[in-house]
Amino acid sequence: MSIAPLTEDQRDALQEVLNIAMGQAGNSLARILDAFVELSVPRIRFVEVSMVTSTIEEFVPCSGEVTAVRQAFFDDLRGEALIIFDQNGCQDIADLMGYDDHLDVQAQQELLLDVSNVLVGAILNGVTNTLGTHLSYSAPSIMAERTLLNQIITPENVPWTHSALLEVNYSLKDRDFRSHLLLFMAEEAIEALRKAVDDFVESF
Amino acid sequence: MATPITIVDDSTMSRKLMIRALPKNWDVEISQAQNGQEAMEAYHQGKADIMFLDLTMPVMDGYQVLETLQKTGLNSFVIVVSADIQPKAQERVMQMGAMAFLKKPVNTEEVTAVLTEYGII
Repeated sequence: MSIAPLTEDQRDALQEVLNIAMGQAGNSLARILDAFVELSVPRIRFVEVSMVTSTIEEFVPCSGEVTAVRQAFFDDLRGEALIIFDQNGCQDIADLMGYDDHLDVQAQQELLLDVSNVLVGAILNGVTNTLGTHLSYSAPSIMAERTLLNQIITPENVPWTHSALLEVNYSLKDRDFRSHLLLFMAEEAIEALRKAVDDFVESF
Repeated sequence: MATPITIVDDSTMSRKLMIRALPKNWDVEISQAQNGQEAMEAYHQGKADIMFLDLTMPVMDGYQVLETLQKTGLNSFVIVVSADIQPKAQERVMQMGAMAFLKKPVNTEEVTAVLTEYGII
């Protein structure tokens, strides 16, 4: 099975939907961290599962260790949200949120889960509000901790043949904090997404 | 006489959404630009008495358009239309001479409110 690429209209529309969602999530993050958040240009890619790791490496330019949080979403679109934090930036979040002391592992994990939950909730809400779809999502969980980027996913364990990868990232000026949010969707979800985007484009 | 306005956004869909959100009874001559450079060309051709300006664009972004207009004393009524809805982004563009800030996705009520506030419609 192969996946048809997006048409120019579909890509343009999806890019804009992500842009709006990213802005809303970025605003939530800015409020939590009380800092100005720099937004990226959303990236969209359809790849074979064997290419997932190299695509993540391309999207996330980080040579050191990362901590990754995952959150599943389902209903109209099914997939996984993955939030990747540069290890150096993790203590930065604690700093920004006013924790004076060095956090222990558990407290830092909780903080990353909270931040992830806000980002994923805001971005999925942004997408569903614009596209008129409905999504539910699971609680976030730590997927990998202090791990090299190319080891957070084992493609052999992914039961899909193709995946859509949608990426946005957030950084702070003069700070180490940087997080990448990736949405992964399997074959069926890609077609559902395509249909939602088509319906949306046709609605005006 | 129709008011010349230019919609500046690199996304085709976003420009369509913006055009759809304009008040129905507003007499306008609409031009479109895909980046800041095209927006400045439209301005110099007299097509941009009012500009609906996105911020993140290739070639020349919205901040650069505001800077150019401000530095050269050019006079276009700029309404920024942005997905970056942080209060600080808003503050920054207002300091750079934008007259109003609309959050994406735009809706007719908010566009009408801004235009009414400034006596444009």
